[in-house]
Amino acid sequence: MKTDLSPRIKVALYGLMCVLLIPFVFPTWWMITSSVKPISDIFAFPPDLWPRRFDFSTYAQVFELQPFARQYWNSAYIAAIVTAGTMIVSSMAGYAFARIKFPFSNAIFMVVLLGLLIPSEVTIVPLFQMFLGWGMINTHWPLILVPIFGAPSVFATFVMRQFFIALPTELEEAARVDGLGRFKIFWIIALPLAKPALGAVAIFTFLHSWNLYLEPIVFLSSTQMFTLPQALTQFTDAYGGAMWNIQLAAATMTAIPVLLVFIVAQKQFVEGLAHTGLKG
Amino acid sequence: MANLSLKSVRKAYGEASVLHGVDIDIADGEFVVLVGPSGCGKSTLLRMIAGLETITGGAIEIGGRVVNDLEPKDRDIAMVFQNYALYPHMSVATNMGFSLEHRGASKAEIAERVKWAADILGLAYLLDRYPRQLSGGQRQRVAMGRAIVRNPQVFLFDEPLSNLDAKLRVVMRGEIKGLHQRLGVTTVYVTHDQVEAMTMADRIVVMNAGKVEQVGAPLELYDRPANLFVAGFIGSPAMNMISGEITQGGFAAGGVTLPLPAGLGASGRATYGIRPEHLILADDGLAATVNLIEPTGSETQVAMTLGEHSITGVFRERISAQPGETIRVRPDLDAIHLFDAETDNRVE
Repeated sequence: MKTDLSPRIKVALYGLMCVLLIPFVFPTWWMITSSVKPISDIFAFPPDLWPRRFDFSTYAQVFELQPFARQYWNSAYIAAIVTAGTMIVSSMAGYAFARIKFPFSNAIFMVVLLGLLIPSEVTIVPLFQMFLGWGMINTHWPLILVPIFGAPSVFATFVMRQFFIALPTELEEAARVDGLGRFKIFWIIALPLAKPALGAVAIFTFLHSWNLYLEPIVFLSSTQMFTLPQALTQFTDAYGGAMWNIQLAAATMTAIPVLLVFIVAQKQFVEGLAHTGLKG
Repeated sequence: MANLSLKSVRKAYGEASVLHGVDIDIADGEFVVLVGPSGCGKSTLLRMIAGLETITGGAIEIGGRVVNDLEPKDRDIAMVFQNYALYPHMSVATNMGFSLEHRGASKAEIAERVKWAADILGLAYLLDRYPRQLSGGQRQRVAMGRAIVRNPQVFLFDEPLSNLDAKLRVVMRGEIKGLHQRLGVTTVYVTHDQVEAMTMADRIVVMNAGKVEQVGAPLELYDRPANLFVAGFIGSPAMNMISGEITQGGFAAGGVTLPLPAGLGASGRATYGIRPEHLILADDGLAATVNLIEPTGSETQVAMTLGEHSITGVFRERISAQPGETIRVRPDLDAIHLFDAETDNRVE
């Protein structure tokens, strides 16, 4: 919808938006610029918006102080597996809840949704004991299995179910007449049409896994196995003080995939949520 | 191609019965239209023929083979849906060849059949497009192309024209009829539009509340409706229905006596039916007060009051009378219908 606003109102609106933008943009800007400042310049007051001197050695030190490349790989491959696994599980479960008639399907779906109401802090100790029993402590299995079969997947199942409910049943009926069975209807007809919802699921699942913090600090103990959020806490000096510029350099590198995912897929993310009726 | 036979077909959802035993025999190559008001069970019946709904009782035979328990894909039918149901993520060519592809046809065969269907329907220049790039009429043609491409024994159409505008509907009506004449495939077509039914069908099945009211050729239903429901449903504007009594002097009804054909054996209470187009302007006719005049150019539709009854007349003549004025009309005695007041069935 086009609205005709006077130039004065436009200027005022843009000014207001710029002011509102500051609390969101400043921390990221401060993180990026501080990562290339000498540590003595970081807490200068008032803060420098542009570094007086550039010191890129912090980025090299990130890799010297921690096995950062390995930790980066850990986060990346865990997030990739969790994303793919959640997409598979949630799309199949969402399709089943939306399309297949079976006894108590609605009641079962409600029970599944209840899983969202339980905070991860409540289940972390039983989970630890379970994975301990399975010999999976200090492995990446818990970080893969918990999200795929836990709250993120439940939310993803909800998103996919809402999408499949809205898919015209006539498409599936046409496919039945054309000779397809249930799985092929799902795979060849329903799933390709669910791309927007799958895109949304992929983005928030990836982000959830990438940012996971509680589970790694509970299940992992060796630095070689650490994921990025956990690794960020390890950039300290001999007295436990934070090495701010190095930590911020690591944080900047950690944030890059997140920014890329949003830049590349934000349209699909919005479309996917719009299909589920979740958009405000 | 094959004949299609429905024998005492019933459908119930739990305790609620929606089809109460339907018997229809459709000959090989016949074009049969199921028509009736919303909720009469016509679409349910079509979906049962397709295998998209289970059958509670009775039997459906296609080509002499009972198909009650067969999957849709094993019934050798093709269906055109109301919303076309084209796969949005596939091109026109892929949509049309989809069923052949999943029945193991070779690529060459698929290409040949798709080209054949596209040529018949004038779709050749659209084969690489996607459904979203097509107009309503083009989508409809693609849906038909998808149906004809694998040469099924029976075509099923579920209100395929209801999403099109009035003008396109007339065009597509002709195309579907032409396609049937060309291919000669047994066709069952569902619509709630009685004009579609009249213009397209070899035979019409009029349904109401889960039952078949009458089966017959279009003009047979128009000329000799079996009961009040069929009489009211077939024909537009609808037949005038006047309740009254058959007497020696004519049909006495609410302050007016309507003429009856000589030698009528019936007597007692009845419903007098006369189609609007079978009212004739005549100086010696009955006086009717004009309520509304709607000229369409080729004819004039007049809403009027005759005695205590509101009736409609359609005349070829142009009428200059104004609302409130009187005109004189008489029914064409050869086109009168009488229905029993208790059973609603036709009285001969």
